Amino acid sequence: MHKLFAVIRREFMVRVHTRAFVIGTILGPLLMGFMFVFPMLLDSRSKGPKAVVVLDAGSGDFGVRVERALAGAQRGDGPDATRRYQVTRLGAGVDDLAPLDSLIRLTGRRAETPGALVGVVLVTDSVLATGRMHYFGSDVGSLSDMGELQRTLRQAIIGERLGRAGVDPAVLMQATAPIDLQTSRVSNGEVTGQSGESSFMLAYVMSFLLYIALILYGNQVMSSILEEKSNRIMEVLVSSLSPFQLMLGKVLGVSAVALLQLGIWSGTAKLLTSQRAAIAGLLGVPATQAMAMPIPAISGDLLAVYLTFFVLGFFLYAAAYAAVAATCNTQQEAQQAAIPVTMCIAVGLILLFGLLDEPNGSLARTLSLIPMFAPFVTPVRYSLSPLPLGELALSGGLTALGVLGVSWVASRIYRVGILMYGKRASVGEVLRWIRTG
Amino acid sequence: MTASAIHADRITKRFAGHTAVNALSLDVPTGGVFGLLGPNGAGKSTTIRMIMHMIEPDEGQVTLFGGPLSGRELSARIGFLPEERGLYPRMEVLEHLIFLGEAKGLRRQDARVRALRWLDRLGLSDWSRRKVQELSKGMQQKVQFIGTLQHDPELVLLDEPFSGLDPVNLQVMKDVVVEIARSGRTVLFSTHIMEQAERMCDRIAIIARGEKVVDGKLSDVKREAGNRHVYLDFSRDVERARSVLADRSLVASADDSGASAEVELAPGADADRLLRALVDCGVGLARFEVAEPSLQSIFIAKVGQQAAVAPAQEAARA
Repeated sequence: MHKLFAVIRREFMVRVHTRAFVIGTILGPLLMGFMFVFPMLLDSRSKGPKAVVVLDAGSGDFGVRVERALAGAQRGDGPDATRRYQVTRLGAGVDDLAPLDSLIRLTGRRAETPGALVGVVLVTDSVLATGRMHYFGSDVGSLSDMGELQRTLRQAIIGERLGRAGVDPAVLMQATAPIDLQTSRVSNGEVTGQSGESSFMLAYVMSFLLYIALILYGNQVMSSILEEKSNRIMEVLVSSLSPFQLMLGKVLGVSAVALLQLGIWSGTAKLLTSQRAAIAGLLGVPATQAMAMPIPAISGDLLAVYLTFFVLGFFLYAAAYAAVAATCNTQQEAQQAAIPVTMCIAVGLILLFGLLDEPNGSLARTLSLIPMFAPFVTPVRYSLSPLPLGELALSGGLTALGVLGVSWVASRIYRVGILMYGKRASVGEVLRWIRTG
Repeated sequence: MTASAIHADRITKRFAGHTAVNALSLDVPTGGVFGLLGPNGAGKSTTIRMIMHMIEPDEGQVTLFGGPLSGRELSARIGFLPEERGLYPRMEVLEHLIFLGEAKGLRRQDARVRALRWLDRLGLSDWSRRKVQELSKGMQQKVQFIGTLQHDPELVLLDEPFSGLDPVNLQVMKDVVVEIARSGRTVLFSTHIMEQAERMCDRIAIIARGEKVVDGKLSDVKREAGNRHVYLDFSRDVERARSVLADRSLVASADDSGASAEVELAPGADADRLLRALVDCGVGLARFEVAEPSLQSIFIAKVGQQAAVAPAQEAARA
């Protein structure tokens, strides 16, 4: 036990002291913060009202109606909402487009330029008939802005058409009031409360984390075994430590590093999301906008399920990678020999997308019972709709058995492989090692 | 009588197609320095690995300290320096030694104290916080030597311990080995350099092609080889001695090094006749000494014989 701990300690300390670990640990949250803040920044870049001119070349109140609709458009809702547009209406004669050229010359200038515009909305009577309206602007590249503009203008046009058809303005107001679609997810006949968007996010992020951790740290396990083989330290080690102690120590040490790093990352993520209103405030973005981001809450039981399967999956694949590395001598050989293991991980991740529609279908149930895939599948199923306890226990139990099985096979391969140099072992040889040990 | 430190009973190891060690029996008594000698590829490392139970013999068995436990189970009492030296290049020297000590079952604090003491003794104190990869090869070898010895093992197995060392470091390590033996503990080391073995060993075993050729106390081995060796140093006209050394009625074999030679007298010849012949031929003699044969000449005589006999046996078997 003392010896095993010494191996774990060494594996842990050696990794934590590398520059790569320090950089990765710091860079992770930075990247995360960036991904979190960047959309807000992008959004807030144009946070002031946009200066827009309505060139009114139509007849009657059409231009005024458009002006009012634009002036009423808001960014965000509630008390923090701000006006989207700073609108000026420029009345021209009917179908007189002469001022357009000079307006366009002012469009897209830097904000400091006096009279600079973001865009020009052209109002003519033909719009009502053809439904085709013109907007000249510097912001036409933004799909969301254009979508918003189109919605706003559409309301004005519908209003004008109905008005001209003699509809009561009060009825008209009511009829054209915007709607807000609220979504709630239902599974197994129960409302789970989360929006579909956020449970997908959660499932995706969690399994992707597992995927990244397996690839990253699995490769670390492999390369450190290869290093030990190639610099012959193995000879000294196996004279005092059993191969099983060595392998277990390595797997446990590396997974402790992985959990530490992921712990730091998720702690930072939690902090960032809980403080997002404050962060938004610092950046001058309305807090409601930050709060509106779909960030799912992870409940305690989901976290427990996720961590359990994460650890099981990690051990399973780390042992598999250790066995592969023991049969090889160079990094290239190992990369090649590890392809089946890496494929399993990739397939596990890809299969998830098939589950999102039917988290309790027969495919999902079957995959939960296969140790290689369960670490990906089961927590995601649990996040989509809570599993019956029996099924959860069965999945966990089978995966744990899988871990033991893979470790046993891996340790048989390991204890012969680590002292073999020269050529890579063939499949037949490896099978013989497992049989005879 | 105390049990042997190592007792190997007819151990055999075959690798794909060839027999590395063939029915080898060894008895290494407690205390003293035991030399396992043999040419390259004789099976020395394989034998040591079997003694350590790193690989299992196909036949026969190894007993350590008279008991049934394996080398790994007894690792706290054994120090092992493998032929292939290896350390973690990116670990600090002191950390590395502490880890090796812990692997032998030492407590962390104890391992640290011992490591520091040894680093001091071998003049590496200033390097304790440096990474292993920053050390020269000789220093790394010292570090590994410390790792082998810091837990005060009763039995020390050193596979080619002195290869690649400069004369100063060589002397330091020899002193350490001799001191261990003097304190009543057992050292077994393998080498193919006979001068080292001759100066340090109490007992030797010579193996060739996986088989034991001779073993026993060094003094007995030498006595058995007989007092029929003459050491010659020449001062001038060396060429004139050639015909005398080539005379098979006088000289059975000669290890001619130019200005000196070691000669084994032919059966029936005696030293007086050789001396007279040399004086008559007019060569200048600086030394004429009748003595026991050197280990080098015994080794060449025995292994040369074996090497010649073995292929014939194999051919006969085939």
